[in-house]
Amino acid sequence: MRFRRPHPGSLVAVAIVALLAAGFFALLRAGGHEASFLSIGPYLLRLLLFSLAQAGLSMVLSLALGSALALALARRNFPGKDILLSALGTTMIMPAIVAVFAVFTVYGRNGWLAEILKALGWPGDINIFGYPGILIAHVFLNAPFVAKIILDALHLIPAEQWRLASALGFSSGQIFRHLDWPVFRAELPGLASLVFLLCFKSFAIVLALGGGPSRATLEVAIYEALKVDLDFARAAWIALIQVAICLTATLALHGVLARPPVATTSRTTISRPDAPNPPLMILDGFVLTAGLLFIAPLALSIFTGLGHITAVLDEDLLFALLTSLAIAAMASTLACSLALALGAAVRTHRVGFGSPRWAAVFDLIPNALLAVPPFALTAGLFLLIRPFVDSAVGGLILLPVVNGLGALPFAYRYVAPRLLLAEERYGRLSSSLGLTGLTRAQIVDWPLLRRPLGSAFALAAALSFGDFGIIALFGGPELRTLPYLLYERLGAYRFEEASAIGLLILFVAFMLAHMSGRWSHAPD
Amino acid sequence: MLLIDQCRLTWPDFSADYSLKVEDGALCALIGSSGGGKTTLLHLIAGFETPQSGTLTFRGSDLLPLQPSQRPVAIVFQDHNLFPHLSVARNVALGLRPSLRLEKAEWALVSEMLEAVGLTGYDHRKPGEMSGGQRQRVALARAMVSKRPIILLDEPFSSLDPQLRRSMIQLVDELRKRQSITVIMSIHTPEEVADVAEQMVLIDHGRVIQAGSPPEVLRTFHSRSSTAPDLPV
Amino acid sequence: MLNRLVFALTAFCLFAGTAAAQTKPILMVYTYGSFAGKYGPGKAVKERFEAKCNCELNWITAEDAGSLLGRLRLEGKDTKADVVLGLDMNLAAEAKSSDLFAPHGLELKNLSLPITWASDTFIPFDWGYLAFVYDSTKLPEPPKGLKELVENPNGPKIVLQDPRTSAPGLGFLLWMQKVYGDQSDKAWAQLKPRIVTFTKGWSEAYGLFLKGEADMVMSYTTSPAYHVMIEKKNQYKAAPFAEGHYLHIEIAGMTQTTKQPELAKAFMNFILSDDFQSAMPEGNWMMPVKATSKELPQAFRDAIQPSTALLFTPEEVQKNRRSFTDRWLNATAQ
Repeated sequence: MRFRRPHPGSLVAVAIVALLAAGFFALLRAGGHEASFLSIGPYLLRLLLFSLAQAGLSMVLSLALGSALALALARRNFPGKDILLSALGTTMIMPAIVAVFAVFTVYGRNGWLAEILKALGWPGDINIFGYPGILIAHVFLNAPFVAKIILDALHLIPAEQWRLASALGFSSGQIFRHLDWPVFRAELPGLASLVFLLCFKSFAIVLALGGGPSRATLEVAIYEALKVDLDFARAAWIALIQVAICLTATLALHGVLARPPVATTSRTTISRPDAPNPPLMILDGFVLTAGLLFIAPLALSIFTGLGHITAVLDEDLLFALLTSLAIAAMASTLACSLALALGAAVRTHRVGFGSPRWAAVFDLIPNALLAVPPFALTAGLFLLIRPFVDSAVGGLILLPVVNGLGALPFAYRYVAPRLLLAEERYGRLSSSLGLTGLTRAQIVDWPLLRRPLGSAFALAAALSFGDFGIIALFGGPELRTLPYLLYERLGAYRFEEASAIGLLILFVAFMLAHMSGRWSHAPD
Repeated sequence: MLLIDQCRLTWPDFSADYSLKVEDGALCALIGSSGGGKTTLLHLIAGFETPQSGTLTFRGSDLLPLQPSQRPVAIVFQDHNLFPHLSVARNVALGLRPSLRLEKAEWALVSEMLEAVGLTGYDHRKPGEMSGGQRQRVALARAMVSKRPIILLDEPFSSLDPQLRRSMIQLVDELRKRQSITVIMSIHTPEEVADVAEQMVLIDHGRVIQAGSPPEVLRTFHSRSSTAPDLPV
Repeated sequence: MLNRLVFALTAFCLFAGTAAAQTKPILMVYTYGSFAGKYGPGKAVKERFEAKCNCELNWITAEDAGSLLGRLRLEGKDTKADVVLGLDMNLAAEAKSSDLFAPHGLELKNLSLPITWASDTFIPFDWGYLAFVYDSTKLPEPPKGLKELVENPNGPKIVLQDPRTSAPGLGFLLWMQKVYGDQSDKAWAQLKPRIVTFTKGWSEAYGLFLKGEADMVMSYTTSPAYHVMIEKKNQYKAAPFAEGHYLHIEIAGMTQTTKQPELAKAFMNFILSDDFQSAMPEGNWMMPVKATSKELPQAFRDAIQPSTALLFTPEEVQKNRRSFTDRWLNATAQ
């Protein structure tokens, strides 16, 4: 076998895997008093089955609504559409507790829906605990994100293909088959595993809306082991099981829907020839109305915090905002760099070395990261670096690292396809011109990557911005982020102020999403 | 005869006003600096753009009310002509019937057309496995198989190397003569079509500056570009 | 945008850097987030202690008691903590067995706790009883005892916290255990139809209650005082239960690894002083462990006074928590 110099991206992939492995190992070793091997009891098994079922259902529904919304939004134009699109990118980063309260404000026993039904004379009681509540919350959080990602991808269909469609006289069905569906096929596997994983480990939501301990996720057991039993080894074991399941699910999804080669340009689309089709107009009208009726009240309920905004505007808030932004910027930089490195490695393996298997393995790494419980990862990594750095500094280092790793799967979704596209478009040309390394990156890749990288950065920043995760472990006056402030106010009975902070978090995320949208839609 | 008479199109930053006659069976080359309005003219004929005023007729019948798919026109773009998820044969077959439900005889026609563009046996390849020149030949085959009397080519070969480009132009010339098709083609490198085109049209600022035989139009083109250099991008 | 990011980044780095440049001795106190937050007693405590000690008090926070201990265990002997403030009785045994805490060496006299204090490692700093809180305008006749709540099939709907993730959740599990003993699984099964859900933490449960999802919520006897004093709302009440109430005591301890034991001990002493204790009621919405020179606010004096305090020792909790939890799971997770 001929020796090949490894691609730097491959080293990054290896480094990420090594980091995770080392974190787990450190946790396992810190087990302490007794070697605790994990036996999966009947309860844990039932939990697992439930988690799989709710995550699967949430995923299917989120993808269905998201896809329908994306198509309807792609076909229709209306005033305020760009605002709506930015708002779509926002729901996903909502802190879990804000989402839970939103669901109850709208669908609760005394929620808006109940009020309306009561006014209409309906005598019954609304009960959303169990699957309905969990699915409502998960679809609300994820479907808009799915819609946004697919819509972004639909915008990348070359203008020529739309002109061809109208020149060849495609019916609306043929347009879907030859133009939209290839995009769906490229995007859905990744999105499916992303949403599945997010729902699989969604924890505060499942507990609050599930209605009983039979409706919980594995993450509960991890949390219990970490925070109550202080049995780190057990936590690591359960986390490993979770990672294994999530990886299997991801692999299965990728197997069912293999990613076809991308053939997209970054040109803006012309108006779609299927827009005037009457049945589609009715369908889109229905989808948009139904989608908005579902999403809008939940989103609007967040605005109940508006009245208390003035109560939270103080120095603390300004500092938390700056801290959040700084951490988000660092995490986002890390996420984007890692996404670039991994994407480049995938490209090299797929196109350069002709080994698509390895490329597929690298493709999985970002999503696999989602399966890792951030709290466990933080704990493990902290144990690793503890001998070398001061613990306060350790927190400062880990915060952007863990947030960055958490945002990587999302950044990767933007960056990787563009890298592959640059290769498909200019790969042969650059090798014939002898363009390599930095020069090539500058001339070939950068122009195509600039904008998706911008939007990946904004999205990753928004995600990290809304993240509470590891701040739970390493907070403190010098490390107070907005979500931290939110939970702190909740602990002091200040529910209204917490809702105002929740609104602010979403507003910042909305602005980031807005910028991200402007970058990704601006013509090249 | 294709007759374009005072077709006006306006955008905030660009306006065009075209008048042009193209004889049946001619190869008409559109030349001029980029951004001058060559593509807009092709899009006008294909039906992707609608003029605010003016007339567009072919053999006496009005084209303007017709949808792009109803016009006697097939088009080949510089890039992205093929759907990457469809095989070469199916990409060509789209030109016959977008439903892809073809009869045996029609599939035979598809193979025949692939043969005519020199791609015998490539039926089951995917576009991603082919070179740029091959892909453009598939697109050409699709345009031909639709049996439309006019074929529009928008800078179809500009991403190919000069030698390949020349042979592709030869191919277009042969095919249109064999099937008596009118070809209107925009091109960056006018010299390469000078010996096959019957008509050359210089377009700039959205207007036809000159239409005539290739040598005279080329003279005007060079005198203009020497005063205002405008290199192809 | 980029400029602003750079600015934020710089601000952040500068700020993070300032912590290192101090000349006075610094006392590091680990606590949970809301204690050191805007409305918590942290600011008052810091000011009052610094006025006496010629030192600087720095709060380091984690989300809750569990995270606090988790972080401490992760840091082990390298911890920077001098004092840890905010664990509770149910974590005390676990914390003690970590060998990170030093004996406090204080004489604890005149504590106004419902029990006698025995620990030589931890000192109490505030306390309260667990209680179901309800809205008296919506629930005019709350149950008068735990048994009444459990055994009346038409009783009010309640929202609880998951005992695996929440301190009051675990507290209520222990309460049930105290009252029902071996019959607790039957009691749980009886109560189950009226449990709206078990939330991850206190905040979700209390929020759900305020949104009207349940008639009663597991919280503290002191919760109504918040509504009276801050919101001027009198309708929220804690329901007195005949069997007695489970006791929740928050504790503090100094670490073995502290490099300034004198200062740490001074702070431990300070915790039991008037300056600290008087900040507890309105700062932390809990009862002080010592009578303060300032009279308790009226709303606290109005809080229900259970006749019996229910409590497992930390060792009992450590030993039985898993089996209690399993029993609860079996009874409720059907």
